Amino acid sequence: MVALELAAVSKRYGSRTALAEVSLAVPAGSSVGLLGPNGAGKTTALRLLLGFTGPSGGGVLLHGHDPMDPAAREGVGYLPERLVLPGRMSVRRFLRLHGSLAGLTGADRDHEIDEVMELTGIADRARDRLSALSKGLLQRVGFAQAFLGKPRLLLLDEPTSGLDPIGIRDARDWIAGARERGCTVLVSSHILSEVERTCDQIAVLHEGRVVASGPLVQVVGADESLEDAFIRLVRG
Amino acid sequence: MRPSALTQFRTLASEAILDAVRRRIIAAIAVVSLLSLMLVDTCTTCSGGEVVVNGQVRQIAAIAGWTGAVTYAVLGLWSIVLAGVLASEHLAQTLADGSATLALARPVGRGTFAFARLAGSLVIALATGAVLLGGTALFLSARSGLPMRPALMAGVSCAVGAVTLAALAMTASLYLPRIATVMLVFVATGAVTLANLLGMFRDDSGGAMGAIDRFGPPLCTSIALALSPWIDEVRVPGSPLEIAIRHGVWALASIVLLWAVFRRVELRD
Repeated sequence: MVALELAAVSKRYGSRTALAEVSLAVPAGSSVGLLGPNGAGKTTALRLLLGFTGPSGGGVLLHGHDPMDPAAREGVGYLPERLVLPGRMSVRRFLRLHGSLAGLTGADRDHEIDEVMELTGIADRARDRLSALSKGLLQRVGFAQAFLGKPRLLLLDEPTSGLDPIGIRDARDWIAGARERGCTVLVSSHILSEVERTCDQIAVLHEGRVVASGPLVQVVGADESLEDAFIRLVRG
Repeated sequence: MRPSALTQFRTLASEAILDAVRRRIIAAIAVVSLLSLMLVDTCTTCSGGEVVVNGQVRQIAAIAGWTGAVTYAVLGLWSIVLAGVLASEHLAQTLADGSATLALARPVGRGTFAFARLAGSLVIALATGAVLLGGTALFLSARSGLPMRPALMAGVSCAVGAVTLAALAMTASLYLPRIATVMLVFVATGAVTLANLLGMFRDDSGGAMGAIDRFGPPLCTSIALALSPWIDEVRVPGSPLEIAIRHGVWALASIVLLWAVFRRVELRD
């Protein structure tokens, strides 16, 4: 079963082409790393998958639906690259809001909020205002909200941004934990070592096109690292 | 399980109301509203005596309907403008700070989100309008003996006008910077009010102003129509039913426009 699919998708902004006939299918339960240099179209691909924007050509399916349909986004956890959280809210209130939007109610919601706060190491900051948290802690709150509702698909855009080495290792464990629960994971990143450790498949985007995709072991040659392969693919 | 659109609307609208309450402009609105009410209180205490109008000596009590209607209409239009000003940032801000994208990554419809933001700004504007207009109506009724029913009808008319202007301002804010949207709110309300006044006091109101008066949202006309039992001399053009329908259609069309435009807006995080 395919969790998400881009079929010959193009996206143009005026005369600039952000994506050119990109095709990518992510099977349910897999973990895919979307790699590419800055401006390659990774974030645009995620925005298309979430229905934030429509394609100029081709088709996008999320859980078999048009992403513009709210039903497609049921069971999706999303962590944006530029995470700006409402500073006036406490951590718990922010998570309550997103728990409610994810369909959690009452005691179930509070229990799950406690769980994700415990998991992401922010349980002792539940009452703190978001404006009082460091960048690293905010990223942990971002992960916590993405995990609410036990998502079946995680879309993570540069997930380790702002995290210290301990946080990076924790994030790796959280993603591994989600995969063990059967969650599909799509990670957009240009930190190759992270993708190498968390994903079993990769797709490399360059100038709006997929230049390579498939299982990590197939894309990366026997005598090269992922970094070598990445540079080979984007430099041609 | 996906929550119902109504549950999501309630959740998002509650947040939108809290967001509106926290805005710095609210303190200024509260002060201006309080001062306005104090001014109305002072003005309405003077119910006896005589004044000279166009060289004619008249009893103050005899012109209470006029002064009451003008005061009420000005405060009503202020409440409508307030709704537009509050709405001019209430949705656009969530796009700028990324909170819209986080919410819309959930199974939340664009319409649900936009309507919740609209409701958030309207609750504050309508509450302010209710206090202002309700207080004014009570003063006018108790001190000048003006009936309450016209004031109630005019209040409902202001609420419909507030919905129209807020939805249009919110739609414009998706394309314009805030200051331009606020300017547009003032200019549009001013133009419609002027066109409505020309329509009421001149027989040959034509051109652009005539078109605005005949086809635009009857912001001022509908208030004047509701308050007409207080004032005998004013002739409101058009049938009351036509004005009421046009008022309602503008409010509904503005909401539909907001929904249709927001559905197509590109969200960036």
